[in-house]
Amino acid sequence: MFLLSLVCFGLRQITPGDPAERLLPPAETQRAATEPAAYDRSYRRAAVTLGLDQPTFYFSLRNAALPDTLRRIARPQERKMLRALTLHSGNWPAVQEYYRELRKLAYSASSGDGPTTESRPALLRLLLQDEVPRIGKALKGLAGDPATSSLQNAFANLQKNPRRYALLLPAFAWNGPKNQYHQWLLRLFRGDLGFSLEDRRPVAQKIWKAARWTALINGFALLLVYLIAIPQGLYAAGYRGSWFDRISTVALFFLFGIPSFWLGMLMANYLTTPAFGFDLFPSMGVGKVPEGASFFTLLKVRIGHLFLPVICMAYPAWAYVSRHLRGAAVTELDRAYVKTARLKGLSRSAILWGQVLRNASFPIITLLAGVFPALLAGSILIERIFDIPGMGQLLFRAASGGDWPVVIPLILFNGLLTAFGLLLADLGYALADPRVRLGGTKSSLK
Amino acid sequence: MKKGDRARKLAIFWLVGLLLVALGADFLANDRPLIASVNGETRFPVLHQYGRVLGWAEAYRPVVRNWYRTETDWAVWPPVPYSAGASDLKNSGYRSPFAAQNTGPRARHYLGTDQLGRDVLAGLIAGTRVAVFVGFGALIISLLLGVPLGGIAGYFGNDRLRAPRYHWWGWGLGGLFGVLYAFLCLFPFFQAESIFFCMLLTVVSCCCGALLLRGLLWCIPPMHQPVRLPADSIFLQGVELFVNIPGLVLLIALIAIIDRPSLFIVVVVIGVLRWPSIGRFLRAELLRIRSLPYIEAARIGGIGRWRVLFGHALPNAFGPLIVVCSFGVGGAILLEAFLSFLGIGIPADQVTWGSLLRQSRAYPAAWWMALFPGILLTLTVLAANLMGERK
Repeated sequence: MFLLSLVCFGLRQITPGDPAERLLPPAETQRAATEPAAYDRSYRRAAVTLGLDQPTFYFSLRNAALPDTLRRIARPQERKMLRALTLHSGNWPAVQEYYRELRKLAYSASSGDGPTTESRPALLRLLLQDEVPRIGKALKGLAGDPATSSLQNAFANLQKNPRRYALLLPAFAWNGPKNQYHQWLLRLFRGDLGFSLEDRRPVAQKIWKAARWTALINGFALLLVYLIAIPQGLYAAGYRGSWFDRISTVALFFLFGIPSFWLGMLMANYLTTPAFGFDLFPSMGVGKVPEGASFFTLLKVRIGHLFLPVICMAYPAWAYVSRHLRGAAVTELDRAYVKTARLKGLSRSAILWGQVLRNASFPIITLLAGVFPALLAGSILIERIFDIPGMGQLLFRAASGGDWPVVIPLILFNGLLTAFGLLLADLGYALADPRVRLGGTKSSLK
Repeated sequence: MKKGDRARKLAIFWLVGLLLVALGADFLANDRPLIASVNGETRFPVLHQYGRVLGWAEAYRPVVRNWYRTETDWAVWPPVPYSAGASDLKNSGYRSPFAAQNTGPRARHYLGTDQLGRDVLAGLIAGTRVAVFVGFGALIISLLLGVPLGGIAGYFGNDRLRAPRYHWWGWGLGGLFGVLYAFLCLFPFFQAESIFFCMLLTVVSCCCGALLLRGLLWCIPPMHQPVRLPADSIFLQGVELFVNIPGLVLLIALIAIIDRPSLFIVVVVIGVLRWPSIGRFLRAELLRIRSLPYIEAARIGGIGRWRVLFGHALPNAFGPLIVVCSFGVGGAILLEAFLSFLGIGIPADQVTWGSLLRQSRAYPAAWWMALFPGILLTLTVLAANLMGERK
């Protein structure tokens, strides 16, 4: 659990794009070129609202040459520049001096004794420039401007006094609970997942809306699987070698190999469009139900739209359960207790349903455990193909659109579901077979 | 079981065929001739292209930009004289394999074309190469991770790796500190830029840190007590962790975060996500092998334990491993098709089976674009499943 939250937090950290910049209105961003000082102030405010000025984690490991306060530099690009310069020279005070001079010049009001208007863009560029030779070149270009003399001095000082040996020391700092990870985790526990970048709606609401569709489809698919696969697997095992068994074994093997997204696509292409005259089902989406329609109209529309997706979700699982159930049941049927039951005069179906099923039910339970994570993963393609507004579709849209506040909770949610499924499976194993003991030996629960 | 054997042979045949197609993809489908004679000079344009890419050969003079329009004395063309992704506007707009095609003296588009007249068969051949690359690339990465880890876990189990405490603590913690130190301090100090140098620094620093801590701990007497390393338990915990990772979801998130799509990243991620199946199998296999008489004999004969593991025990597990491997290749190819069908992670100009399938959705009447890639994919997965089937 802890690891999962760490992974998600890590992913959140490495997502491209700058959250603080996204928070600012676009008009504000345009001011970056004309009024850098005002932009810097509003940027800083945005960063503070997001808590970006706090340290990332409970502790930090860093190079001793870097100052502890680097994170207070609000803009990531400037932070990167300072970091690169310090790691180059090792002399933080000199770098700091250079940065202070540069800021004073670049952010100064456009009138008065500041730098000339020609050198202003170059100075703003310098704030982001992190390669030492290029800085030197740019400063040479600015040498004509008298206002930049102190900046020139600061840079010369920086170059003349490197303290590279300082780079060899590492430093460790304890940040306490006032850090980004802690705040993020607290917000999570409070159920505050943040807002989508795409349409500014709460993420929790978006996920909840999508989850209903996915749960509906998966629920129906699961029901279908168990209704068909269990009797079929059992009877195939019970009448081993019969034509029914042989046909179903071969058919299931082929069915298992056909990628469900291909079959789904074929269905979506040829059964919902008039391309070859098989326009049997309504096409994409979940259908529109008119306001105030009766329950039966609703049912009709929904069934028409959801029939194909449910089939596509169900058949790989059906093949899996049926094949494994047959395998397990065949092994069980060779056991002595089956012979005893037969000698007692029990009918074949009574043996199959009453005795064998319980002992051969491991694949059924395994599937049940796998269903929860599959709620998301397995349905990405099917939902894409049939254009159903479920979790898979949400994940795909968010991931390809760079909507990270939606993606990260989805991953977290999925991980939780996986863990929950495994827990359920362990309980199920114990229920089906009392010999499985939980907690006795090292259990696989986590 | 005779029937099963024949099916298995067919499956092997299919997989090897795919491999050969992938290797010879440039010679099967290309918009340059294999051999051509231009103005009395014999050229090998396809082979020459390899030389150009590797930097071994200069371009032919005069440069030929379009071999279709070049006057040749004679030319031997590949069976499919089109390149994947190269458009043929004369045959644009989804030409069916059976429809009239305006290809002139060249071969027909055997499996039809797409909207821009790109040849579907050439696309399939290029897709085969991508599929094989992803399948085998991911397999190699899973093998690199799974074989040593699974081998150690299975062969040593929980009780056979014994060493003094300072040894384990030294290598575990000291190595970790060493790696951290390399990242924090040594990289900026040496201004290491090349990956090779960085890796060298990391390894050296890891070893130094480990040996240093080991030496320090050696001075503390309680650390001399020999303990067992529960290699098997640690391995199983690690596997559990990886199995719990929701693969496809994480893959999509990771690949969306990495903003430059590339096949290598896809291969690495798939390989890393799929190593547990290999590791687990090897562990089970070695648990069996380690109690066989010849291993006992080797141990009694005084051969070092690492040499027994890598020289004697592991090679005997490789035979059955091939079966698991083929299963893994099928899975990786399927995942790659998923991704390219979704259009994530694979470069946009790369033609793959999945991307062909995605294209076909735009125009359902083009059955040839939906059918053929799907059949190839299905047969490959079936062949892999057949190989992986337990007897």
